[in-house]
This record gives sequence, structure tokens and C-alpha cells, in this order.
Amino acid sequence: MALASITIDGRKITAQVGQTILEAAQAAGIDIPTLCHHPALEPRGTCRLCLVEIEGQRALQTACTYNVADGMVVHTESENVVSARKSVLQMLLSERNHFCMYCQLSGDCELQSLAYRYGLDSWLYPRAYVPMPVDASREHFVMDHSRCILCRRCIRACKELVGNYTLGMGGRSIDSMIVADLGVPFGDSSCISCGTCLQVCPTGALMDRKSAYRGIEEDVERVKSTCAACSVGCGIELITRDNQLLRIEGDWDAGVNKGVLCVVGRFEPLFDIRRRVLTPLMRRDGKMEQVTWEEALDAVADGFKQMDAPSLAALASPRVTSETLSRFAGLFNRLDARSVATLKPVPSFLAEAEGSLVLLDEADLFLVVGADLAVDHQVAGIAVRRGVRNRGARLVLIGEGQNEMADLAYRQFKLDEIEQAIALAQDAQTPVVIYGSAAGSALPALREALEDEAQFLGLVPGSNARGALAVGLSGSFEPDGVKGAFVLAADDEVDETLLNKLDEAEFIVAQVSYFGPLVQRADVVLPTTIWAEKSGTFINTEGRVQTLNAALRPPTGVKEDQEILQALADRLAD
Amino acid sequence: MAKKITIATDWLDTCSGCHMSLLDIDERIVELIKHVEITSSPITDLKHPPEEGVDIGILTGAVSNTHQLAVARQMRERCKLLISMGDCAVFGGICTMRNFFGKEDVLRRGYVETESTDEEGAVPRSDELGKLLDQVMAVNQVVKVDVHIPGCPPPADAIWYAVTELLAGRTPVLTGENLTYE
Repeated sequence: MALASITIDGRKITAQVGQTILEAAQAAGIDIPTLCHHPALEPRGTCRLCLVEIEGQRALQTACTYNVADGMVVHTESENVVSARKSVLQMLLSERNHFCMYCQLSGDCELQSLAYRYGLDSWLYPRAYVPMPVDASREHFVMDHSRCILCRRCIRACKELVGNYTLGMGGRSIDSMIVADLGVPFGDSSCISCGTCLQVCPTGALMDRKSAYRGIEEDVERVKSTCAACSVGCGIELITRDNQLLRIEGDWDAGVNKGVLCVVGRFEPLFDIRRRVLTPLMRRDGKMEQVTWEEALDAVADGFKQMDAPSLAALASPRVTSETLSRFAGLFNRLDARSVATLKPVPSFLAEAEGSLVLLDEADLFLVVGADLAVDHQVAGIAVRRGVRNRGARLVLIGEGQNEMADLAYRQFKLDEIEQAIALAQDAQTPVVIYGSAAGSALPALREALEDEAQFLGLVPGSNARGALAVGLSGSFEPDGVKGAFVLAADDEVDETLLNKLDEAEFIVAQVSYFGPLVQRADVVLPTTIWAEKSGTFINTEGRVQTLNAALRPPTGVKEDQEILQALADRLAD
Repeated sequence: MAKKITIATDWLDTCSGCHMSLLDIDERIVELIKHVEITSSPITDLKHPPEEGVDIGILTGAVSNTHQLAVARQMRERCKLLISMGDCAVFGGICTMRNFFGKEDVLRRGYVETESTDEEGAVPRSDELGKLLDQVMAVNQVVKVDVHIPGCPPPADAIWYAVTELLAGRTPVLTGENLTYE
């Protein structure tokens, strides 16, 4: 790569041709202030905070957009530069409501921190006090326009990272506003509530309903982990304070999602209103009673000892770690249980991991079959949105029912029109077939026609379904003749039809986190951790092993999955 | 003994928290009064700065009505150096929330519609009282200010720092923890 020799603040630096001044300075450890700039977004140069003086140039230039050239001499904190930055800050502060004392982001606000950096102790310009709307029409986060500095990070995130193009600029001059679609309330817009804009907003304009005012960066802890919402397995950061989950952010360094999350992963865990089971419970004379761990575990061991192994079924959720699943399978296989299976069956054509999510950012045609990527595996759907809207890739849907991605689709075909879909894929350069659990009937034809021409990506149901398959847990549960059942559901929802299959069982043990239909049917309830309290690994749909790190301590009275299984194994071995 | 530096303080549209922060310099006030004389303040017997003037005037709170405007102007006339202290004095602060409404609406809400007001509630219109200005303003929008100490309230240390710098004959420049907007 060609090199350029430049001087920044008197320091000789070797930069790469094509780098911006900002990139070259950052690489050399020279701090140029920025505001509209964000490392995950394309530089835009709107805020003018990164202005620098380049010798020989008539005007100051924005370091985030100006490329280095050999021999360039740059000053980043000269008198001219500092005075220009201060006046930019003064203008930004003069427009809307930038009173810090009642703003939820005070302490973490990038505008505030720049005002501190440049020692602003008063404002130069009178303010207009134009009333600004607060848009609270979305369930999970709120937009307070009066805190907005129009830096357009949210617009760029919506476009570049999510491919959704919901956000844009409306109005001119003093009337400029961030708008959704053609100026509708956010809640009525095409917004998919992925919250990427929330994560990049530098001021208090975008507000998380759950974490606002509950602690600034220096009060909180951050733990990197893996999202347990689906088998994409996005990298996340759990932000906690005093053992409370405040919010979830996307991990910019995670290969799978590069910071982007969906509504299910980012917000839904915070909005979970299920009641936690906090002590072991046992049914006595038809009534659920609180018991000690000793009593509960003894009752489970006694119950299973009285039963023939062939009448015992053991079912585990694919929302627990591979390590737990391995211990679970080991325990019940040793007992020769009739069925040892998962709560979410995986169709046989999805049993082997195939393809990589990276393909989605390279494809020029997406052939989606048996999956609705606006509902499940949404971050894969977001990659498809990016492809369609940012790169001009085509989306072709195959399936009978309604698909929420239909708006983006180039064509939508029924099963009996599959030949037309195949023809489109054959014309493409880098087609990817994305198949989900409902793809069974279409897949053989697609494989036959496109085996050599397309890449295939399978999206398995169940967050750690691959971890379950790896230890031999399939979905084949045989209910006939089952007298006893052990259901490790943890924080997973248990399907009602599956519960109905356990109707004939006389003795049901539930290892769960929340009250619900399973607890209502159980004879013994063993309270266990939720996903944010677990450490271990998940295997995602691509077969990638990913790490979960516990961000929360379990409540008193609740034991970890493996501790419970171990205690049970000890008792059953006696 | 050298003549003491004279300081007068007053409050305008304010919650009085800034004066509380001034008191939060705690026992350092004993050291301070060796060097300064506080001629008047809202929390002492004498309320108005003396006619012969003071060296330093300190104003807290925003300028909201004609009375506060007069107080601010009198302080400016009677002090050599004026300090604007706290977010309301410096920026307008939380008091400016009423700038989004007409002043008659604000008065009606405050004196007539308040939940604790009975049907006799009425806006006081006496000539003795200051009249609301159309807009709440920062002190530097009505008179020249020499030193700003923002903060809601400013930390006692920032106030101590500013005053001791002035006593040493230097212009205070707030940095680090002393410069805060909250």
C-alpha cells in the first residue's frame, strides 16, 4: 500500500494513502475531537467538530472526510482550529434544549463532553426556544427532538447498518428535523425497532425507556456475551448496575452482527414480565408448596427411582448452554430414559450446519425459503435488507403464506412456481439460498438445481439447537407410555402442544426460571438461572462456538442448571 | 490591616441551591472572611449592595421579571466585577422551560389552575410586584458578566476556586470537576 509522509502537530507520521486525516491521527494516538463521526458509519463531515488546519489550504477542513497526501502539514489544536470548534459548539448549543441537568445522558453525552473539553462556561447566542415534539410512539425507546443536534448518525445507521431507510431529514434550516418515512410518528413508520439508532446517538435525543436515568457509564458494568434469542447468536454487551439489567447493546466487534441487533435481542428481555420462580416448589395434595432444595431434589430422585427407565422422558430447551446440555444428556442417557430430546425439534435437513452469515453481505440474490426473516433470525434479515437496499441485490421469496419481508422482495413465488425462482438464481452471480425450518418440501428441488451455483445457508430453530444436536439431543420425543418427565425449560417458553403430550405422565419435574403453564402441570419445580445469568457456550446456526458470560448473579434460592443436574445425578447414583 | 475585598450576592429566579453551594465551602468560610467582607446577601440582614459599591458581585438565578431585571442592573452598577453563578444565571437553566408558553398562560397555570387553588384563585396584579418578562434570560443577556460559574448547583470547590483566584488577582478558568453543567 502506498504510504504518505505527513506532519500532525509537529509529529512526523507515516500514513497510508487513502486514509483520512482522522484515521491517520487516531493510528498515531493523536486525538481529534469528533461528534457526527462514528467508527461503524461512513464519515459525513456534518458537525464540523473535527476541523483541522492544513498548511497551504485556504479554509479549515474536516479531518473525518479529508484524505492524507504526502507532505501534508496538519494542525489539530491551533488557535484558529480551537476558535472554530468553539464557535461550532456555541451554535450547536444555541439551537435546542441543551440544559444538561435534567437530561438522561448527562455524564455520557458527547456534546457535553466536548463543551467541557473546550471549557465553555457560558453561551454566546440567544436561544430561540422553539417547542419540539417528543415522539414516544414506539414501545421501546423515545425520541426527544429538543436534544437532537442533527448529526445524522441515526439516519446513517438506519441506512448503512440496517438497510431500512426509515429515518431521514425533513424541513430546512431551523425547521430541520429527523423524520420517519414521510413524517409519520415513529410508531407508525417502517421502523423495525432494532434500536441501532439508539445505540449510536451521541446526545440524549434517543432515550431507552428502560435504562434512561438509571446510571451513566461510570456507574455501570459491561459484560460481553451472546444473545440467546435465536440461532444467529449475535454478540452483545449486557449493561448492568447493582445486579439489574439496564439494557443490551450490540457488540461492534462481534463477527456475526457487527453491533447490529434486532428488537427481540435488544429490547424483549427487558420487557419480560414473567414472574420468576425463586424457591423450589412441590405439589402436595394438589397444592403447590415451597420446599427446601433438599426436599425437592430428594423427591425427584425418589420419583425417578420408582419408575422404570423406559417410562421416563427428559426434555431440554435449546436455550441452555452446550455444557448444560452435555451434562443433561449424560445423566438421562445413563438412566436409559425412553426419550432424551429437546423442546424444539430440528428438521433433519437442518441437522448439519451449512453456510456462513458472511455470505449475506456478498450475495447479489437471496432466495429465501421456509423462513420469515422479519420475524425469526431478524439480524440475518437485516443483512438481507442491507443487500437489497444498499447493494441492489434481489430478494426472492418462496413459500405459500404471508412473508413480512415481501415489501423488499423482487419476486415472490409459490412452491409450484419454484422453477422461476431457480431461473432467477441461475442468472445471478453470487446467489445464496437461505432456508428455514419450513423449507422441507422445496429444498430438494433447489439443491438439485443450484447445488453448484448457489451457496446455502441453513437457519436452525432454537438458539443453541446445534449445541443440543452435538450431544445427541434431537427433537424425537416419544410420548406414548411416558410416566415420568424431566423438563429443563429454564427461561424458554414451552409450547402448549408439547405440554399436552405429557398429559399422561404421573410425575413431571420442571427445571424452570419463570412461572407459566409448565409450572402449573409440574409436581416438582426446580428454579434455575435465566440466560443473562449463565456462562458457557452456544453453537450458532453456522456452527460457530460462541461464549456466554454471566452478567447477573442469580437471585437467592435459584441454582444454576449444572449444579441442579449434578445434585440430581449424585442422588440417582446412590 | 489591608482593606478587605467586598462581596455582595443576590438571587434572582432560582431555587436558592447556588447559595447553599456557597455555604458548602464549609469552614473555609472562616478563612475567606479574613480577606473579604460580605456586605449584603439574601441570607444576611442587608439585602442590597451598598451604594458606594463592592469589588465583587455574585448573582444566582435567571432573569424572569422586572424586579429581577432591576436587581441585576443595580448589582452591575454597584460592583466592579460580576460573577454569574449556577446554570440559571449562566444559561437560563430550568427556569427557561416557561419560554415555550405565553406568560399569561404561565400565570394562569400558577395562580388559577394549580390543583391546590380554589375557585377564588386569581393572578396578582399589584403594581408593587414585578411583572413577568416575555422570556426568561440568562444574566449575560441583560448585563455584562465577567466570570461564569455554571453548574446545577456549581460545586462548592468551583466557587472556592473562583473566589480565591480573584483574591489572588487572577481570572479564574474553570476546568476538570470545577466545570460542570449539572
